[in-house]
Amino acid sequence: MITAENLWKSFPARRDRPGFKEFIVNAPKFLRYNKDCFWALKGVNLTVKKGECLGVIGRNGAGKSTLLSLLLGVAQPTKGKIEVNGKKTPLLELGAGFHPDLTGLENIIMNGVLLGHTEDEVLDRMDNIINFSELGDFIEMPLRTYSSGMTMRLAFSVAIHTEPEILLIDEVLAVGDESFQKKSGKALIELIKSGVTTVYVSHSMDAIKKICNRAIWLEHGEIRAEGESGKVINDYMNYLS
Amino acid sequence: MNKKTRQQIDLLKILVKKEITLKYKRTYLGFLWSLLNPLLTALVLFIAFRIFMRFEMENYTLFLLAAIFPWSWFSASVTMSTNTLTGNIALIKKVLFPKHFLILATIIGQLVNLIFALPILLVFVYYYGKAPALNWLYGIPLLIVVQFIVTYGVALVISMVNAFFRDMEYIINVSVGMLFWMTPIIYLLEAVPEKYRVLLVINPVTYLIQSWRDIFLNNTINWHNISISLVTAVVVLLAGTFIFSRLNRRLDEVL
Repeated sequence: MITAENLWKSFPARRDRPGFKEFIVNAPKFLRYNKDCFWALKGVNLTVKKGECLGVIGRNGAGKSTLLSLLLGVAQPTKGKIEVNGKKTPLLELGAGFHPDLTGLENIIMNGVLLGHTEDEVLDRMDNIINFSELGDFIEMPLRTYSSGMTMRLAFSVAIHTEPEILLIDEVLAVGDESFQKKSGKALIELIKSGVTTVYVSHSMDAIKKICNRAIWLEHGEIRAEGESGKVINDYMNYLS
Repeated sequence: MNKKTRQQIDLLKILVKKEITLKYKRTYLGFLWSLLNPLLTALVLFIAFRIFMRFEMENYTLFLLAAIFPWSWFSASVTMSTNTLTGNIALIKKVLFPKHFLILATIIGQLVNLIFALPILLVFVYYYGKAPALNWLYGIPLLIVVQFIVTYGVALVISMVNAFFRDMEYIINVSVGMLFWMTPIIYLLEAVPEKYRVLLVINPVTYLIQSWRDIFLNNTINWHNISISLVTAVVVLLAGTFIFSRLNRRLDEVL
């Protein structure tokens, strides 16, 4: 169950740091609290019921990823309240926290523990994770010897085996080569359909239509439309064309 | 122990392990570098001050090493912690975990160097015709705890402030260098002219270094110095925790 009430999130307007001369001349101005800011989210309300999959669509910079960071808790809202009940598994950036000098095995353990498991639990799942990744003997090699596709496969395999209760996905449905794409896509859809609460950000309207029962359309940090996913997608497509 | 605690302990364990094993993973001398570093520094200082400048002091090597190993733990932890948050942006922005673990892991990783340096110190203690006493057994752990608290407090502040104000890294580099010379590490506190000594007496690191030396050179535990260090450490830790948690709320906006 996810509820968010009146979410606002601002970022400081990115100005380049002033040069030294300018800094000295205008010091009082720069030291004052900088009120210029960019509002990435402006009063978003949403509820995702247990077992439901909510699709989030919108153009680049609409606030989709910011929304996911707030739901995950790696960012704090400027205003508003969020309540997320359950074990959160982020699929925001596959392989965040992987280290190139550690072997595949060591990276599995580190990633699994970072995602909220004890080391023993990760070890119990180790065989399944390795099998799913189809990396074979490469699993003993340092990650820097992997191709980027192999790294993604490893990251995906760890994430999918963490038994999530709440899944936050940012545009990673299918990774690797064609056959692995099919397999990973299928595994993820199975997971979502099995009753995991999901928030799924994507630019693939087909995927959203297929997986999500409900969707919201974000535009400039505000919800433009929400409801049954087919309808929201139609509104969005009409608006774009 | 419940599952959450176990997971947190495992996480810290893994981060520390990563800190220790990765540092020298692709070097030939590997972990030896951790010991070579302070030893070679001590050697250079020994040549410069004992041989060239003819400092007259008995046990000068032991005197130097007893201060340089603990100092290295402090200075390396502080210097490295400037980049613990800014160097792990992907992790911090995409995975939810306690960020201060990164800082704890840095400090514990460096502590391992100090612990491995203790046998070397012991060799020099015997070489100079001294012997360790029983009070080492509680004196050393006690000093480690005190130094850990103060290092952690300092590291919390500078790692977080550096994310908002990147000049911090350079300020810290210069400050740590200055602090080295303003602490009685290579010279005796008593050798400093009385009118300047106040500069060293107001420096909290002085008490810590003096306490380490009291143990290794005289087998004494100087409760006066240790209590001053402990009080400073706790104050620094409280201030550090406060600043860290305040700025933590806006950290994602500047990384």
